[in-house]
Amino acid sequence: MTDQPPVPLPHSTGPLAGYRVIDFADEKGQLCARLLAELGADVIKVEPREGDPTRHNGPFFRGEQGPDTSLYWWVMNAGKRSVTCELRLAPGRELAAKLVDRADIVIETFPPGESARYGLDYPTLSTRNPGIIVVSITNFGQTGPYRDYLATDIVGSAMGGQMYLNGDEAHGPVRTTAPQAYAQVNVQAAVGAMVALYARGVNGGMGQQVDASMQEAMANTMDNSQQIWDIRQVNQSGPGIRRNTAGVLGPQYLYETADGWVTNLGLGGLLGPKGAALIDWLAESGEARGLDSHDWRARLAAGALSPEERNYVEIVLARFCKPRPKLALVAEAQRRGAGWAPVLSPREIVESEQLAARDYFVWVQHEDIGESFLYPGVPFRLSETPAVQRGRAPHAGEHNEQVYGDLLGLDAGEIRRLRARMVI
Amino acid sequence: MAETDRLKKPFAGLRVADFSWVGVGPTVAKYLADHGAEVIRIESSTYPEALRRAGPFINDEPGVNNSGYYANFNSSKLGMTVDLKHPRGPDLVRRLIAKCDVVTESFTPGTLARWGLEYEALRAIRPDLVMISMPLFARTGPWSHYMGYGHVLQAATGYNHLTGWPAGPPIGTGVAYTDFFVPHIAAAALIAALDYRRRTGKGQFIDFSQMEAAIHGLGTAILDWTANGHEQIRMGNRDPEAAPHGCYRCKDGQHLVIACFTELEWAGLKAAMGRPEWCDLERMRRKWQRLNEQREIDRHLSAWVEDMTRRETDPPEEPMEGAEGVMIRKFTSYELMEWMQKNGVPCGVVQSPEAMHGDPQLAHRGHYRKLNHPVMGERTYDSPSFRLSTTPAELTKAAPLMGEDNEYVYKELIGLTDEEFVELLLDGALE
Repeated sequence: MTDQPPVPLPHSTGPLAGYRVIDFADEKGQLCARLLAELGADVIKVEPREGDPTRHNGPFFRGEQGPDTSLYWWVMNAGKRSVTCELRLAPGRELAAKLVDRADIVIETFPPGESARYGLDYPTLSTRNPGIIVVSITNFGQTGPYRDYLATDIVGSAMGGQMYLNGDEAHGPVRTTAPQAYAQVNVQAAVGAMVALYARGVNGGMGQQVDASMQEAMANTMDNSQQIWDIRQVNQSGPGIRRNTAGVLGPQYLYETADGWVTNLGLGGLLGPKGAALIDWLAESGEARGLDSHDWRARLAAGALSPEERNYVEIVLARFCKPRPKLALVAEAQRRGAGWAPVLSPREIVESEQLAARDYFVWVQHEDIGESFLYPGVPFRLSETPAVQRGRAPHAGEHNEQVYGDLLGLDAGEIRRLRARMVI
Repeated sequence: MAETDRLKKPFAGLRVADFSWVGVGPTVAKYLADHGAEVIRIESSTYPEALRRAGPFINDEPGVNNSGYYANFNSSKLGMTVDLKHPRGPDLVRRLIAKCDVVTESFTPGTLARWGLEYEALRAIRPDLVMISMPLFARTGPWSHYMGYGHVLQAATGYNHLTGWPAGPPIGTGVAYTDFFVPHIAAAALIAALDYRRRTGKGQFIDFSQMEAAIHGLGTAILDWTANGHEQIRMGNRDPEAAPHGCYRCKDGQHLVIACFTELEWAGLKAAMGRPEWCDLERMRRKWQRLNEQREIDRHLSAWVEDMTRRETDPPEEPMEGAEGVMIRKFTSYELMEWMQKNGVPCGVVQSPEAMHGDPQLAHRGHYRKLNHPVMGERTYDSPSFRLSTTPAELTKAAPLMGEDNEYVYKELIGLTDEEFVELLLDGALE
């Protein structure tokens, strides 16, 4: 085993250890498969001979585009094995089907109807392997009037309603720059995969298809806005630095500080019966600007302010926050019982004392380039079956010999012939 | 009888003690409930959970049994109330947990331990218990005691930093975003642990951090910092790899998003617009060039969308300016979406909650379910974004009233006699 690449750990300890997942997915399913890998499953990514198209997704390591430098690829495929397999060729399709025969879960993101062309549709696969669970992730679902519509992340965010709730009056709707429609359908499809896996166990080993929709995944991020429409016939829209509560534009929740921004709800906690400690804080700092008067305290405790009064409190809070550093503000507000949080950038997240205390970030070894890098760690710590980050993302076809040889039982000659015929 | 009729619901026979509250935990337990588990929400009327106190309320009248917000997160569940501060409260709950398979909770760390209900204690009663704790920040660490909701956790996990316009404040999403991201990861881990238990009989404890899970929604931005030392920042509606990539206002007041990642999609957009001169300029030829011309592309495209769209009440065709007799077709926002899609352009309308309610695709998928609630009447509930072909989710009932199932839980599960039940009721233990 000396020349074994470090991807993935040979013996997994997660709750899914022993299960195998075949990953045919693009942006809509790779994170889903990675989560299953972190939970212990053996995940095999199937790529075309020239490598998966998402290897061209930026950003790139040191800004240099290449087959193994996509940071997107690194993150979404860490801990998987990779084989190449040309699905456009009949022997490639047969090879893929054989992989599925030895798997528990397939994750695929072909447009509706297209998987049949490769023999990877649920009816075909389940005939060969009745226990197989096929997680089919698409933009809008396998059927329905929009099934063939083209979409990328921003289209999912728009049609799934989330963008309507983001943004502000002046600029209109906005998308979160880090793609969330993709992220959402990935993690929600992972739940579908797990429900189906559990169902298989209690229903005599029978698999099924999980039909996940990116639009619908985003629809599930709309907070209480559907209920607000249902009950109050109000369309909430992007509140900017304010916050919508039940269809009413609420107070400002974002305040600028000396070194960035902080967020808080209910006017920093000044509102309501528990606000006294916060008013004291302003008063002790000599910056209550009258809010510590008997009258104001009563009004804040009752929580019913006129628009002018609310505006005044917002100004007092804004002035209080502006010259102070954000982490100190948050620490003191929390000490006084108010749930403030800082706005953190990726750098500040990596430097967070909270995450450091938890050893959250893990060094992942990229022995191929002779360096290790910090990755977000597993977010679930299981006492009996610890989940682990399983290593870096694979090179295209890095595990061809391992998988086609050890798993499918092909001999060296057969593998050589497949290679010569440009199947792998 | 069809074969699917004989299939068991996935989690049939599992009982869940659901202490979790607000957004995250209830969503996790809702997945179990909607797929067949008996989930019992454990609450106290002495301190109603935040969502029961948050609107929308029917007729705008606040009431613990009247919140659409609470209802949506708690379909298919039973409800019980107990006052854990009552001397008998913790013991009653322990007797219930002896009959449960799963415990879910999302309190500030240490809360359950105060009543002797931490995992180690519960495991003594129920050795194969699977328990998941999902506090906001984490069970340990300097911020473990910090309070808050998803609306501020999105700030601490990078979503605010990455949502908004480059020159403007980090506005974040307009929702408690992490509440709608992290429960899915928690549910996947919890069900994986349940599957392990099904095979081995072994339970376990899952230490889950909402903060740590939320970061997985923007892992690429983290790697861009740790590997490249580059800090990503919010870009409005732009994307580093597509041009055009934006949100354009139509005359009917709606917005259409358009994204062209490939040359094919760009060619489709040109065709859809009738090949105006500007898009055949030499500097628009390749994607890397267009990425440098986004400002100009947006200017042209915004003007074109504004020009070519109409209000629903306007006629679909208008005479072209200057050219006598030539009519040009004008689109509503949805017609423009259809036209662009026909030309191979990824695009979509930014849909309001109202539009989502009427969306034909979501209707086809049956996304919004109507459930009848004894106080609130027939209301809209969200459902899972996936359809299982043989054991689909079934929202079996509307959210529970406060303590709705006390009799069942206390008498049949905990095993109180009628007299004990009444005695504890009068003594305030069941509040």
